[in-house]
Amino acid sequence: NNSSQLSSLPLQILLYLNGIYYIFYFLATLAMIIYKSQVFSYPDDFLAPDLAVLFLMAILEVPRLYLGFKGNLTEAEAPLGLSLGLTVGSAVLCVYLLLWQTYVLWADTLLNAVLLSAYGLESGLKVMAIAAFVS
Amino acid sequence: PADTPDAAQARARSAPAPVTDVAKLCVCDLLVAQCDINCCCDPDCSADDFSLFTTCSVPVVTGDSQLCSQKAAIYSLDVEANPPERIFKLIDQVNPSIFCIHATNYKEATYLKSPEIPTPENFDQLLDKFGGATFSAEPDLDLDTDAQNPPDANETYRYEYGVPVQTEDAFLRLPSPVVSSWCSDANPAGFLVNQATKCIRSVSVEKCDSIQALSMLFYINSSILAVNITVQSIVVQSQNGMRTSLNSSDVLRLPMVLDGLCINAVLGVNYHITHTDTGEIIEAAAAFVLGAISKEALSIEQSFEISFTQENTQPVPLSGNPGYVVGLPVRAGFRPQGYPFPAGFLFAPLALSSNKHSQLTILQSTSTQDCLAAQGARAPVLFGYNMISGCKLRITAAMKCQPLAQTLLDVLKGQSFPEYVASFGNSQAQDVLDWVPITQLHISEQIISNTLQSSCQIPVALGIEVKWTKYGSLVNPQARIVNVTATITTTTLKQLPSGRERIIPVTSSVVFTDISSPAEPSYKAWPTINIKLPFDFFYPFV
Repeated sequence: NNSSQLSSLPLQILLYLNGIYYIFYFLATLAMIIYKSQVFSYPDDFLAPDLAVLFLMAILEVPRLYLGFKGNLTEAEAPLGLSLGLTVGSAVLCVYLLLWQTYVLWADTLLNAVLLSAYGLESGLKVMAIAAFVS
Repeated sequence: PADTPDAAQARARSAPAPVTDVAKLCVCDLLVAQCDINCCCDPDCSADDFSLFTTCSVPVVTGDSQLCSQKAAIYSLDVEANPPERIFKLIDQVNPSIFCIHATNYKEATYLKSPEIPTPENFDQLLDKFGGATFSAEPDLDLDTDAQNPPDANETYRYEYGVPVQTEDAFLRLPSPVVSSWCSDANPAGFLVNQATKCIRSVSVEKCDSIQALSMLFYINSSILAVNITVQSIVVQSQNGMRTSLNSSDVLRLPMVLDGLCINAVLGVNYHITHTDTGEIIEAAAAFVLGAISKEALSIEQSFEISFTQENTQPVPLSGNPGYVVGLPVRAGFRPQGYPFPAGFLFAPLALSSNKHSQLTILQSTSTQDCLAAQGARAPVLFGYNMISGCKLRITAAMKCQPLAQTLLDVLKGQSFPEYVASFGNSQAQDVLDWVPITQLHISEQIISNTLQSSCQIPVALGIEVKWTKYGSLVNPQARIVNVTATITTTTLKQLPSGRERIIPVTSSVVFTDISSPAEPSYKAWPTINIKLPFDFFYPFV
């Protein structure tokens, strides 16, 4: 165990798994929104915000993960800090999809809960990594 | 609390709130303040009533089953107990599906939408939206049903059979009787649908010029989408029924009161629409019959007709398309003189005239039954209908043979017996091969014995045999005439002693015979497997 290595391995693993899981999450949530719009009464006024939140979260995810990887591997706290900020934003959107969507299916609850817990764990690890880099 | 009038009004403006508590919902509770039989959820029923029930007609009341967990009210009868009693259970029903609705932030998600209650403020808007015969589910679409868009210069409209002919504001209307004989102005004219209707309109001479349907303007006012309706001809019908055609048909004659009569009232309109073969209307003309209405008349009969003609063609009524339709007249024609017989087929189009006058016709029986007084009444031969008709011929001694034979031949065959019959119902006169020549046969009834003198043969029977076959596909066979034979049967006219008379019957008949051969279904060839190995398949070894 080389003590000069400050990069966090758990964070790296978590970021990697998060990337894979997010692709599945995005496709599943999009498919479920399409299913809901066909089966239930889903007026356009309610459909638009839900879709907007989902796509916004997808757009945020890419820089978030990239900055996370970069910051962790180069042991730089600036990208990691930025990634932490984006994680907070993504977590807020995830909470929206968990609680304030028009129709929250049981599968929705499951997926969002997993994602939220992943975000929480990531945030904790990032804070620890930043502390390690700074000191 | 005292209810103010405003509060009461506000309550009346909103629909009653929907009941959503499953314990209070009862679908079978129909009678007010009375117990419904076998309705276990009825609050009006007492325990004594429940003991008389046999089963519960509504066993379970639930909300939307899509929800993950919902309340359900279960009603059942315990028949074991004495007396039977009703069991009411309120349970939580769980939907095991992974796609059950866990929560919803949309209030009206699982309920039907409450309709808007009309108030003086939103009445007009609601009437616009829902006042018509139909309304759309999407509230954003603005359906403009009144005005038709005027056509662009380059855009053309193509009609299909039966589609109403559009005019600038609505459709071209052909007044026709609906339910009763009174005229209704709401019947749209369909494209290529030739119609002729007669209906009665109530009139009064005093309001003569204010009744729109009596004025010419009403019928030519609407222009069929860039094609104006022109006045083709005006015929004025007098009181006794005599019709005179006017020379100048461009002067618009409007109804007016003159000498106690209402003149220039429209008694009949005949629309002629010309179209191209691609379905565009290029011309429209109307021929009017104007007449006078007397003071005593309370109603007049108007007749309307519309006919469609393709441009550059003669309007020939088809008897089928392409095969003959049972009941339509058999089309026939002549070959004009001067064409050499077989060569004419190749070099010059045979202009077979096929108008009404040279249809295939047979003698029509009259009430007098006298052949010589028949006056040429003829009936058209309708495809598929075997017909027989006849008359009686009174022969006196004074009658000469030859003129009698010629007269009878005219009576049997008519003035212009055609030479060719159309093979299909829509055969064009230019297509020579689509016409079948009529074969004429002569049969003599009596064998001429050794007496050769004064053997006068007079025709007494004409039999037309039309042989037809089914042509085309198995599922939609078309009738096609293959052979027409006209057989004249003659008999010897024996000289009568003077003063004596003889009556002989003369008959003519038409028989349609189906000579179609049984259908042969054809099958597709068996698919062959076409495998060819490339020539260097066995490369190292060959």
